[in-house]
Amino acid sequence: MALIKTLRLSLVTGAIGAVLFIGVTTVSAEAEGKEGVGPGDYTVIDGKVDQGTYDGYIAYTRSCMACHGPDGLGSSFAPSLIKRAQQRSFAEFARTIAGGLQIQPGKVMPSFADDEYVLSNIENIYSYMQARGAEEVGRGRPKVIAPDADADKKEIPESTNNKNEESK
Amino acid sequence: MLKEMKYAIATIGLLAATTLQANDNQLELQNNPELWATQLGNYQGNRYSKLDQINRDTINGLRPMWQFSTGVLRGHEGGPLYVGDGRLYIHTPFPNKVFALDLEDQGRIVWTYEPDQDPRVIPVMCCDTVNRGLAYADGRLFLGQANNTLIALDSESGELLWEATNGDHTKGESNTMSPLVVHDKVVMGISGGEFGVRGHMTAYNVESGERVWRGYSNGPDSDVLLDPQKTLMMGKPIGEADLGVSTWPEGEWKRGGGAPWGWVTYDPELDLIYYGSGNPGSWNPEQRTVNGEPADNKWAITVFARDPNTGEVKWVYQKVPFDEWDYDGVNENQLIDVEIDGEQRKGLAIIDRTGFGFLLDRESGELLVAEKFAPETNWASHYDMDTGRPVVNEEFSTFRQGVNVNTTDICPTAMGAKNMQPSAYSPETGLLYAGINRICMNYEPYETEYVAGQPYVGATLTMMPAPVQEGDGNKGRMGSFIAWDPVKGEVVWEIDERFAVWSGALATAGGLAFYGTLEGHVKAVNIDTGEELWSFKTPSGIIGNINTFQHQGKQYLGVLSGVGGWAGIGLAAGLEDPEEGLGAVSAFASLKDYTELGGVLTVFALSDAPDA
Repeated sequence: MALIKTLRLSLVTGAIGAVLFIGVTTVSAEAEGKEGVGPGDYTVIDGKVDQGTYDGYIAYTRSCMACHGPDGLGSSFAPSLIKRAQQRSFAEFARTIAGGLQIQPGKVMPSFADDEYVLSNIENIYSYMQARGAEEVGRGRPKVIAPDADADKKEIPESTNNKNEESK
Repeated sequence: MLKEMKYAIATIGLLAATTLQANDNQLELQNNPELWATQLGNYQGNRYSKLDQINRDTINGLRPMWQFSTGVLRGHEGGPLYVGDGRLYIHTPFPNKVFALDLEDQGRIVWTYEPDQDPRVIPVMCCDTVNRGLAYADGRLFLGQANNTLIALDSESGELLWEATNGDHTKGESNTMSPLVVHDKVVMGISGGEFGVRGHMTAYNVESGERVWRGYSNGPDSDVLLDPQKTLMMGKPIGEADLGVSTWPEGEWKRGGGAPWGWVTYDPELDLIYYGSGNPGSWNPEQRTVNGEPADNKWAITVFARDPNTGEVKWVYQKVPFDEWDYDGVNENQLIDVEIDGEQRKGLAIIDRTGFGFLLDRESGELLVAEKFAPETNWASHYDMDTGRPVVNEEFSTFRQGVNVNTTDICPTAMGAKNMQPSAYSPETGLLYAGINRICMNYEPYETEYVAGQPYVGATLTMMPAPVQEGDGNKGRMGSFIAWDPVKGEVVWEIDERFAVWSGALATAGGLAFYGTLEGHVKAVNIDTGEELWSFKTPSGIIGNINTFQHQGKQYLGVLSGVGGWAGIGLAAGLEDPEEGLGAVSAFASLKDYTELGGVLTVFALSDAPDA
């Protein structure tokens, strides 16, 4: 059977994902000094996105798309996440992914508590969804901002969002 | 009613006379053109009816007589059975309710059965909680529940007669298929190709539910139930032993997929059942190589011909050795008799996932024809008719392009140029009729690790409409309905549709072909030209099959609507437009703009036909 499915990543890959994420966060936090980069934050320059948001796209496509449809748009199986993510705090978003949901017979959101890869990418997925919800990122696979452009402090991002304070 | 009673008496007589080969009741039922006693209409999988009250001249009088809500929202595949007792038997997706409806009283519910199932099976169903329907023989209805329990119900009362365990959802196994009754056995496959299951086909005794045989799709010959000295491949004995082990990296066959979840057909003369096995294990081809080179991963994506009495494999044909695209090989094998090069052959025709239409000899398994029915098909240029193997186009080889490389614009998509929606065959025209997907994909394999009960995929993919082709009527639309000549290997006519056509087709002696659309239309077309003659919009998109039957002199059409399935997951939001604005007007149309969930049975008849 085929499908657009979900996957489940190896522990090894999951660990790599986690390391990558920590790397990005650290670099960004160092580069930006005062402003930490948190869940829901994203940077878009010329239609390109930061590494974390890109990783969020990849993680979404691997693990969420099978039910929630391509690019967060929803399907006949599960709702669009674009607006939902905007309406949910990061804590609620993360809790749903980790704990799953029982909605009604025939409608179940599985728990991803055992999935290292998904867990390590919740913040990235949340960022990707926020960027989609704000219509800063369109459909399909986004391109990543070149590392040098990211490091270039003089370049002013076309759009930067740092709105998620409640997530600790 | 008289005719049916006489018929019933004849059946009883026949049963008494054939105690040895008990249970050829199903064969008798399907020889009566008034009935629709098995999901595909007959054992050969033809979905053809000799009924002709509804025909080209009367079609304008076709009206919905009544409708029935199943109360279930998910994708409704399969269709109603009519076995001559004045009732329709229908089923639903999870929780797999079964209803007996009174055809003479506008669908009054005679009885309902609802299994008690663990909802934890739902997350291991890759592509919606669909079910392709009931099987029937001798007063027993058979249902393969989502949770792998095969049950038999008394068709008179709805009482549970027995249940058998066919799989384990905690290991990623589930069931979506319709079982098939052959002699005194009911055969059932398994789903879970995205969870690293090991595919199997199993036969149970119709009376007791006791397991008789199980044949695996991979592993040692003794598990597959084949004999390399006797079992044929391309008309010759396989020769080498245990290819189901040696064509995999160490131990990978244990999670080697090959789940047979599609339709099973049967040839009563040759006494062979036919079905296809699904995709091999992980979608990442790199993880299925032997010494770094492509390996055949036998017997995934393979047509099996088995003896229904013992499970023994008579022949195999592997459509896609070393799959790199999830071209899950489960599509139905239509058993048709053809004349080819002046010779009568017992044929087996497949409108396949791969975009190729195959014709095989169903006695020997030899490949006779392999031609593209979907012109955009680009993963292989053609099939080598001597070896029976595809000639793969390196540009679209996800293995050659590599792990973590996004191979783009592969056609068709993993959904296949045709998915599970069963085709029809008219012996009058000699043509097959099928709903088609015109969708392509980007595919990126990545390393994944097997964990029991967890998805084992290892590729991400995105889909887009097939490119608009010069002189092609398909203007960026995502589906069509085709008439296919299985011998010449060419499309005779094609009707464009906005979305993939995901419903089962029907051909009738009334000169008509029927199909349903994802928007929810039931359409009737002239079987010779494809001209649309009639349509009716049901409440939801159709992924079920259109069945026909006659009761007390009146021909009916019955169809389940209720959008969902993989089509509902993939197309609900619409696809990305690959050529942004290049004239593909409806290319990225969203199914959400046309339909919503909800299971409904609609029963049609001619408005001026005699009253029931």
